[in-house]
Amino acid sequence: MTYQEFKEVVIGISAELQIADYELYYTESDSASVETFQQEIKEYSTDSSMGVCYRCIKDGKAGYASTENLTAEEAASLVARALENAKSIESEEEAFIHEKGDSYGVLPENTCKEPTGGEMKEAALVLQKEMYAADSRVADGTQSFVAYGRSTYALCNSKGLDLEDKASYTLCGGLALVHDGEEMYDGSEDKDGNLEDFDLKEIAGKAVEDAISTIGADSVPSGKYNVVFMGRAFAQLLSTYDSVFSAEAVQKGMSLLKDKEGEKIAADIVTVIDDPMHEKSLVKRTFDGEGVATYEKNVIENGVLKTLLHNLSTAAKAGVKSTGNGQKASYASTVGVGPFTFYLKPVEGTEEDILSAAGNGICIKDVSGLHAGANPVTGDFSLLAAGFRIENGKKTSPVKSITVSGNFFTMLKEIDRIGTDMKFIRSRGGKCGSPSVLVRDMNIAGQ
Amino acid sequence: MLSQKIIREALVRALSTGADYAEVFAEHTRQKTINLVSAKVDKIADAVISGVGIRIFKGTRCVVGSASSLDDAAVLDCASRVADALQGVPEHGDVLLRERIFGDIHPVRIVPAGVENACKIDYVREACLAAKEYSQEISQVTGWFLEVDHKILIATSEGLLATDRQIRTRVNVSAIASDGSENQTGSTAPGARKGLELFEDFDPKELGRKAARQAVTMLHAGYINAGVMPVAIENGFGGVIFHEACGHSLEASGVALGQSQFCGKLGQQIANPKVTAIDDGTIPGGWGSMNIDDEGTPAQRKVLIDKGILKTYMVDKLNGRRMGMESTGSSRRQGYQFAPTSRMTNTYIDAGEDRDEDIIASIEYGLYAKDMGGGSVNPVTGQFNFSVREGYVIRNGKICEPVRGASLVGKGSDVIMNIDMVGKNVARAQGMCGASSGSIPTDVGQPLIRVSSITVGGR
Repeated sequence: MTYQEFKEVVIGISAELQIADYELYYTESDSASVETFQQEIKEYSTDSSMGVCYRCIKDGKAGYASTENLTAEEAASLVARALENAKSIESEEEAFIHEKGDSYGVLPENTCKEPTGGEMKEAALVLQKEMYAADSRVADGTQSFVAYGRSTYALCNSKGLDLEDKASYTLCGGLALVHDGEEMYDGSEDKDGNLEDFDLKEIAGKAVEDAISTIGADSVPSGKYNVVFMGRAFAQLLSTYDSVFSAEAVQKGMSLLKDKEGEKIAADIVTVIDDPMHEKSLVKRTFDGEGVATYEKNVIENGVLKTLLHNLSTAAKAGVKSTGNGQKASYASTVGVGPFTFYLKPVEGTEEDILSAAGNGICIKDVSGLHAGANPVTGDFSLLAAGFRIENGKKTSPVKSITVSGNFFTMLKEIDRIGTDMKFIRSRGGKCGSPSVLVRDMNIAGQ
Repeated sequence: MLSQKIIREALVRALSTGADYAEVFAEHTRQKTINLVSAKVDKIADAVISGVGIRIFKGTRCVVGSASSLDDAAVLDCASRVADALQGVPEHGDVLLRERIFGDIHPVRIVPAGVENACKIDYVREACLAAKEYSQEISQVTGWFLEVDHKILIATSEGLLATDRQIRTRVNVSAIASDGSENQTGSTAPGARKGLELFEDFDPKELGRKAARQAVTMLHAGYINAGVMPVAIENGFGGVIFHEACGHSLEASGVALGQSQFCGKLGQQIANPKVTAIDDGTIPGGWGSMNIDDEGTPAQRKVLIDKGILKTYMVDKLNGRRMGMESTGSSRRQGYQFAPTSRMTNTYIDAGEDRDEDIIASIEYGLYAKDMGGGSVNPVTGQFNFSVREGYVIRNGKICEPVRGASLVGKGSDVIMNIDMVGKNVARAQGMCGASSGSIPTDVGQPLIRVSSITVGGR
């Protein structure tokens, strides 16, 4: 049956069982993607997916169940499972079904045109050809891709709330492999927007350049260095640590930001913003996982922690209003707390200015192993990094096989310079962004 | 899940534009996670995942499609969408399906879905309370219980029709030790391809104390001085070093495309002669075990590296076409929405002949990595990293004070040459491995080993 039919059945069952407070959260998405290998299409993929999550409140506790199988029989099981799960909940946290009355933002008109399969294949093949043409050292294993996605997020509940957000986007990118006769090196570049606006030659050139720039990379002696994190690397760190700003993590004793609201936790120049409707986000959201209206907010303003991020439950416990950050990682997830598009506000200077301010040191373009090497509970990180030496204020030879380590909370206080060259990466809630950032005297392990 | 009539119709339709191979993968999965915070049930996620994934090959070109539905119409529509990507004429007529029944080498005694929440909650709670009671310094304990009941059906244009039911159970306890201004963490998470009989394998109190002991130890640890040094890596989760430094680079998904440091190295010495490494999907009840892989090929035990010599890659059908190799039963996918590719199952370094005490005694100054966190690798360059969850300094051949915040980085092909001592006592541990075909359960493992020289990141 269709979602609309399924929804009616679930509403009927809820009434029969006298469940007064419930919510249905539904997502649906269609996507297509092409991948190349050598000068051919290697894989073409089309996916159509949907799922629905039922959340009900029984004796003040929230029970969840989700399904992808929309049948009448499954509807009955869905409600029964959620009810059963609600009875097992012991947490004292209050759960809510959100009332009507919020003022919701309006999504900008969607200008992303859906490309045909033929257009996607053509673009991927051109991009692939351009990568091979960009340098004679480009080797097999080089791959391009084009992807298109369209999603709908819908929430309706027993209080009469009925909301829907739609998003669509095209992605395009290349993984370039170069072989210098001895070793292989890789580089990548991707873009999102409208397929017809992509400059494929430019994307190809950047991917290949990214790989070539790492040829001959070596390690450096261990020690303390001035470190410039390029936007992408700092955004990776910020995104890994975004959970420390969650009131849920704080209330459950899993973030060191307990009782720090209103206090200085970072250098004066640090302002961190959460913006659910940021223009760079591929999935802009007007409502969160509980149907609360989203809005833009400064989480850190000039170094001061202005607010934690809240959903309805954490806000009730703290005696404040939800910040509209009730986050569901997927339709099937329970409601947690998280940012949408989260970014470090640009301050002053180009990448060159920040490098010049560093004088001598290391410029880090990429960090890896974040899921294991960076711990949000302790703030400690020790991460594999790659980048360049900075000598006399300029990027010079490439560096690899080093680790950069420190503590996120300490590092926030020690940020020395923030540039204006914003770079965004895709993240759980939308995107995460940062300009180049200079931190002095960081620990680097190498030879 | 699907009638034979619909499966045949879907295969014929998928083949209608000239593909030489078609495959239908159907899935019905039930997955439940129960989360505890401060020994109280905080949240329960309870999901039914069901849908179909269809693939066709023409030579080495592949078209895939998926739909979140097992309705006849949705399955046939998915087959049509996939076929539409090619423009040829059919090479196949009808498909004759022959059902095959593979034995179940992973019997399940207590199916989790048949047991009420309370029993699962009590077990995790007991573990959490034991962690809390371990020390005044334990400020918070969280835990979870996971059950997965994954039913799959695979049918191919070669006539194969096979099904499998994969039940997995796992428990986690994580403890935070705090002195007010600093936090440190410890955790443990055993799992198996078993039902609730997993509970009989572990005393919950012991799990809780293990997590707590690690957190408290790390709270009182200093930082290791960064640099290049010898490292002794303990058995169990220590095996993540092989998984990252070498295992991923032996998957056909990279090798077939030239994206691996070990391309073209079959028969050559790629590791220290002390290293024999095995990928074994047939270990009864193993977390990464299966009866058949996600293309319907029976699980295998493969010696990947024999005394340092590369014996085989891990191969799936599609990449096998590129490489001219048969499948090694290595094709895996998280679910119907992911196209399958070659992946690891239970992968470990086999027992050697060195005594543990000799390995430690051989190190004048270095690191003893007692427990590891996860890691990652770039298979193209072989650059890998993983974090040390619980480490100790070795001085003059003796294990000394604990150190925190260490990570190990290097290039896979260098590091497996540097594994120059291998102990006798193999242990395995459980992890979730992420790659293009999704997040799948895998075991890592090894005895205590010595890496003669590796970069240790710290302060």
